[in-house]
Amino acid sequence: MNFDALIEYINNTPLTWLILTLLSYKIGIIIYTRFNKHTLLQPIIISYIIILSAVLLTDTSYKDYFESVEIINFFLGPATVSLALPLYNNLKHIKTLFIPIVITLCITVLFSIIITIVLLLLFDAQLATILSMTTKSVTASIAIITSEQIGAIPSLAIGFVIITGILGAILGTPIFKLMKIKHDSSKGFALGIISHAIGTARAIEISEKAAAFSALAMGIGGIFTAIVLPLIIIYFL
Amino acid sequence: MLKGIITLLVFQFLGECFVKLFSLLIPGPVIGMIFLLIFLILRKGSFPSLDTAIATHLKYLPLIFIPTAMGIITQFDIIAKEFWAILTSLVIGTILALAFSSKLMDYLIVKQEEES
Repeated sequence: MNFDALIEYINNTPLTWLILTLLSYKIGIIIYTRFNKHTLLQPIIISYIIILSAVLLTDTSYKDYFESVEIINFFLGPATVSLALPLYNNLKHIKTLFIPIVITLCITVLFSIIITIVLLLLFDAQLATILSMTTKSVTASIAIITSEQIGAIPSLAIGFVIITGILGAILGTPIFKLMKIKHDSSKGFALGIISHAIGTARAIEISEKAAAFSALAMGIGGIFTAIVLPLIIIYFL
Repeated sequence: MLKGIITLLVFQFLGECFVKLFSLLIPGPVIGMIFLLIFLILRKGSFPSLDTAIATHLKYLPLIFIPTAMGIITQFDIIAKEFWAILTSLVIGTILALAFSSKLMDYLIVKQEEES
């Protein structure tokens, strides 16, 4: 038996990391459903911890890992295009509250980007961190391609996106209570525009109306940010 | 589902071409998404094969981010150095933005109801 050839194959085939990555995500889904879909146990977090440990333990370089699983990364493009459908399905809600939606969309996106930049400047953070945090409220697929566009670090950006999603899902309801928010459409819209898909998952628990406005906000917020952010960055930084 | 997948790829392709042609800074797939949205509005709906292709993509969306997300192993020094700056900005930024946007939208809805 040729063990050297076997080990050589396992070390070099993209299948090893591909299978491990898909498997870890499957384990993530199983654990997530077992624990009643707890926000902190998102499948991606479980999968991430498993793969991160495996990559670090085997001393694999990020370049080698990425090349093995590049086929997964390919779907980023079509997945982003796919977001048009949930947006289309919730577009009818725009008509009833057109002016509140457009104003809240534009002001909130700008407010959120500016407040993030100001906070990080106060902490004397470096430019890479600041740029990577400007996409924190955008749904992840758009965040990755936009952060590449503006010269940020996509892997940091995606980390910030996930944390912002979870923070919004946890803090949303207490904040709405504190601010005495009356309309479910406002709660949903805020969750979608700040905490994207994870916020939308939380909005589903509030009401159907909140969920619809959250999905709507996530879609138009993502598009609006992808359009204005590169312009803001070029203009100011 | 093949027709649906082809539709998604064609719209991404068109988006990327549009961005190249007009030297835009917007990511190509986002333009593709806008094109598909316009297509759905004009067509007044989707079709079953596209529904299936999209549902499959959206179901496993987080999985698609893992290759990028794993790049964090090259960023440990930035995170270690700026840990508190990052954490505080994320928490305060999210709280302020949530409070601000929900209050603003609520105010605008009440105002619109009063006017009509």
